[in-house]
Parts: sequence; C-alpha cells; structure tokens
Amino acid sequence: MMRVIIFSWEYPPRVVGQLAEYVRELASQLSKSHVETSVVTYHDYLTGQFEDADGVKTQRVSNPVKTHIGVLTWVLTLNQEIERVSANIYYDAAKHVDLIDAYDWHFIPAAATLKKALNIPFVYSVESIEEHRAHGANSPFNMAIKSIEWLGMYEAEKLLVKSDWMRDEITRAYKVPSEKIQVISPKSTQWVKSILEVYAGVSGGAIQT
Amino acid sequence: MSRELSVMMFTWEFPPRIIGGISPHVQNLSRSLVKNGVKVYVVTCDFPGVPQHEIVDGVEVFRTDSYKNPSPDFATWVYLMNMNMQKEAAAIVNGLGGKVDVFHAHDWLVATAGIGLKHVFRKPFFATMHSTEIGRRNGIHFAYERMIHETEAWLTYEAWKVICCSDYMISHVRWAFGLPEDKLVMVPNGVNAEVYNRNGKKDLGEFRKTFAAPEEKLVLYVGRLVYEKGIHVLVNAMPKILSKANAKLVIVGNGYMKEQLSNLASRMGVSHKVMFTGFVDDDTLRKLQMCADVSVVPSLFEPFGIVALEAMAAGSPIVVSDTGGLSEIVEHDVSGVKVYANDQDSLAWGISKVLTDEGYANWLRTNARKRVQEKYDWDRIAQQTRNIYETVLSEYSRSFWAQAIT
Repeated sequence: MMRVIIFSWEYPPRVVGQLAEYVRELASQLSKSHVETSVVTYHDYLTGQFEDADGVKTQRVSNPVKTHIGVLTWVLTLNQEIERVSANIYYDAAKHVDLIDAYDWHFIPAAATLKKALNIPFVYSVESIEEHRAHGANSPFNMAIKSIEWLGMYEAEKLLVKSDWMRDEITRAYKVPSEKIQVISPKSTQWVKSILEVYAGVSGGAIQT
Repeated sequence: MSRELSVMMFTWEFPPRIIGGISPHVQNLSRSLVKNGVKVYVVTCDFPGVPQHEIVDGVEVFRTDSYKNPSPDFATWVYLMNMNMQKEAAAIVNGLGGKVDVFHAHDWLVATAGIGLKHVFRKPFFATMHSTEIGRRNGIHFAYERMIHETEAWLTYEAWKVICCSDYMISHVRWAFGLPEDKLVMVPNGVNAEVYNRNGKKDLGEFRKTFAAPEEKLVLYVGRLVYEKGIHVLVNAMPKILSKANAKLVIVGNGYMKEQLSNLASRMGVSHKVMFTGFVDDDTLRKLQMCADVSVVPSLFEPFGIVALEAMAAGSPIVVSDTGGLSEIVEHDVSGVKVYANDQDSLAWGISKVLTDEGYANWLRTNARKRVQEKYDWDRIAQQTRNIYETVLSEYSRSFWAQAIT
C-alpha cells in the first residue's frame, strides 16, 4: 500500500483560504483509493492533536517559539515540528513513506531535509507564488520567500499545478522546465486518478485501483 | 561500542571564520576530542577562500552555503542559514549511512538545524549555551529579543544535556529557562597552554621595549573597550598604582569607549603611562601576555573570562574583579588576586600588591599555571565531554528511539 504525507499550513478547522477544503477533499479521496494518507498541518491550540477521521490521519503541530517578527521566522521555526511528526510517521511505519506532497512554500524546508535525510521524495503542489502575492515587490522579505519556493521547485521530483496559466507563470518567473510541471485540474473527472499517477511515477510504485 | 564514537558539531563560526568565542572553542574542543579517539564532523558556515570540505587537525569540516538566501534582518538570516545547514547536514549524515552517534549544537544560532536533525535521525542531542539573549541585552525588551530567547529555551528543552562553561552560567541558564538541575553539566572553557611555551621569556626583552621602559612594570589589559569590561575603573586607579610603583598600562583591544578612555587618561594626568595598541595579532598578544608583570580583568559583568585563563597560562599574575565566571577561575591569594568589582581603590590595592612584592607575584604565577593545567586543559575538557556523550549514549541505548532506528 502506498503511504503519503501531505503538508499544508491550512486544514479544517483552520481555514485561511481555499486550500484547506481542497486538501481535505484530496486526502479523503486518496484514502478511498487505498492510499495510507497522513496530513501534517498547523494549529494554534490543537497542539499535538492526532485525529483519525474518514481514513485520514491528521497531526497538528504548534510553534514552540510563540513570539515572532514576521511570517518568515514563524514558518522557519515551525518546520522543525513538521519534521518531528513526519519522522514519527516514518519510524512508526517501519520506515515506509512513499512520498510527501507539500502544498505551497511553508513546509518546503522540512520536505527538503526529509528528502536528503530519509530519501523520501516530494511533490510540490503550487497553489500560489510569491511573484504574484508580492505584486512585483522585491524586498529582501519577498526574495527570501521566493528563494524558499525556488528551493522547493529545485528539490521536488514534480510540481503539481491546477492550470496551464500557473504552469506558464512558474516557467516564466522561476525558470522551471515545463516538463517538470504537471497540470491537473480539480474539475477534471480524472482528478484523483491523475494525482495518483503522478504519485506512482514519483515513488516508483504501482497504482492500486 | 565497537566502532569509534562520532559526533557532529553545529556551529555558525569555525576558523578561519571568527566572529567571537564560539569559533576557537569549537576548534579546540573538536581537535582535542579527535586526540581522545572521537570522530568529529563540524558543520559550519562557508567562508571565502576555504574549501567546502576539508580535514583540519583530524576534524572533518563541512562548510555549507550560508548567504544564498536574501534576508530582511539578522535573525531571519540565522533561520534561513539553518535551513540550508540542516538540509546539507541531512545529506552528509545520510551519506554516512546514519553512522553519527550524537549531535551537538553551539548556541541558538544553529538551534533549528540541530533540533530538526535530532528528530529526523533520532539521535541524542547536546547544546552548549555560550551566552543568552537575556544576558546580552540585560533583559528582554522587544519581540525580536523574545523570539531569540524562546528559540534558546526551545534548544535547551530539546537537548538531552545542556553544557555551560562556568557554574555562574549554569545558574544563569537554569534561571533563564527554568531547567531541571540534572539537565545541566558544567564543562569549563579551556586554554591552550602550549602556545605560551614556544618562545622563551628571555628573548622578549627587545619586544617589551616597544611597550614599556625596562624599569617600568607592565600592567596589561586585554579586551573590548566597552563599559561592562570596567576598563575605566582601571584608568581611574592609575594614579594610586603609580604612587606605589613605576608602571605602564598597556590596553589591547578596541571599542566604542576608546576615545573616552584616552580623554580620561589625560584628565587624570597619566596619559604618558597609558598606551592604546588597538587590535594586535595572536603572536604579539601572546608575547605581551608573557611580558606582563600583571594582567588585569576589571570587568563589571563577565560570563566566563577566558582572558584571565590565558594570562594564567602565559605565566602572568592576575588581578580580577570578583564577579561572574572570574570568581570561579581565581582563588584569592592562591592563583590570583580578587578585588571588588567597580571599586578603583580595591583594584589599585590588588595591582600594587602584585607589583611591589615579587615573591608574592611568583607564588601566584606558579599556582596559576598549575591550576590551568589541572582544570582548564583542553585534553581534560575533551575527556569530560566524551564522558558526557558516553553516559547519555548508554541511557539512549535503552530508549525506544535506539530500537526504532536499528
């Protein structure tokens, strides 16, 4: 059975944008497709809470450093907790995790370390990019976030995006070869199947349907 | 243990990158551990002109790309540097087949890299606290400082043992982070006594003339010229010292108080008896320490006081403030003279006593050298550190972590 860990900085009940619901639906669909699915996410007060609902195992971590000067320092210190629970999943599963699917840049540092340390490949699902969020601003703060996004695009086995437009934007702004980017529309009837195919390609395993 | 014990050190500075005291500390500790049969990997920041991977004195050094990410401020730079350091160290440990026994981080500057790797590889983790934000800033006043303070607290929480260089730092760190007593271990800072043995004292006559006349006693201060070092107290004490002995004060170092101190010396009418050298190279510094008739550490605040140890190793009698780490290094009337901090009369008394009584000065010299060899020898410190690693590894071998990774 394929085992996948999904990283997302928002997941119900913590809803920041549209990503939370999307990730929940995907996790639930993966579980129905016989993928052992864990979601590792953040929550302010549900620290360490473990949930096993709908076949999806959810681990919520909180940041040990409560005081911050910006989102960057907050993200960079939170990544160690993401690594901790991911390593726990890995060791509890007899060192068998096929891949990590990282949503947006927040937990790219953890994904890169886990790849280098434990040979777990990752897919970078790009929901949005700093190039667009920053509206062309290039302060050191924006550049730092872009550098983390770039790290994710470089280290990931595959980039997943939802539209041709996003694929072209990533190719333009981050100079990622377009062959590395897979477009899968959530509206497609083949949505889960296509994602499973990408997962299988990345992990070198076979799809079970 | 069948194969040799191995440790991976994390430090943001390692020679030739030298910012402060952590760099020489990690260098000396690492090479002394190597001499004691420990395999040492050091992962540190890169530096222009030195290789990314080299073996120095038996220590395997990896320098990781530390300036590749743009950073809005110093703390964010630190966390981003840690991201790269962690990723590269992860690849190194993986390349070694996970065969690194313990991880050891030096200060919050490498906290996040070390903490993450501890969990990913499930290894025992050590932290040496060289300093604290609350100590450096004399309190926590802003969010920036609190963030660093909380990162330090997290580092001490994640560490199996927290190492400090003095009993003073042990109690300070215990208070600052509310740590249990049995988590803290005192391992003193060391000093390299051999570097003072290379050239004999006899050859230094000519060298000494650059700084003081042969009939003048050489009073040496080495340190940054900043308020907490109490150097102004020493300048203020000069007239009283000069009434007892013909002396010359040589001040080595720089700092924001330099001009102020120079003005103070002329207002006291002693500017002809005070010399400011600025920064000097290692060789000059060692020779000066060997020439000095007395070395003075008049600090108002001092976590450890390595300069006092250096003077002791160099064979110079020492007069120090009875404060912080200095209180522990010096035994009054045995290995040096302790005087009241921030008290020029007390300081003048101590210095005059050493300068006017040669028998007493020699007694202090002999005892101080012995004390340095007994307690502050890097070889001994490395053995102590090795023992701490081994004790923890034996506790660790019974944990579920040790079973899970094999």
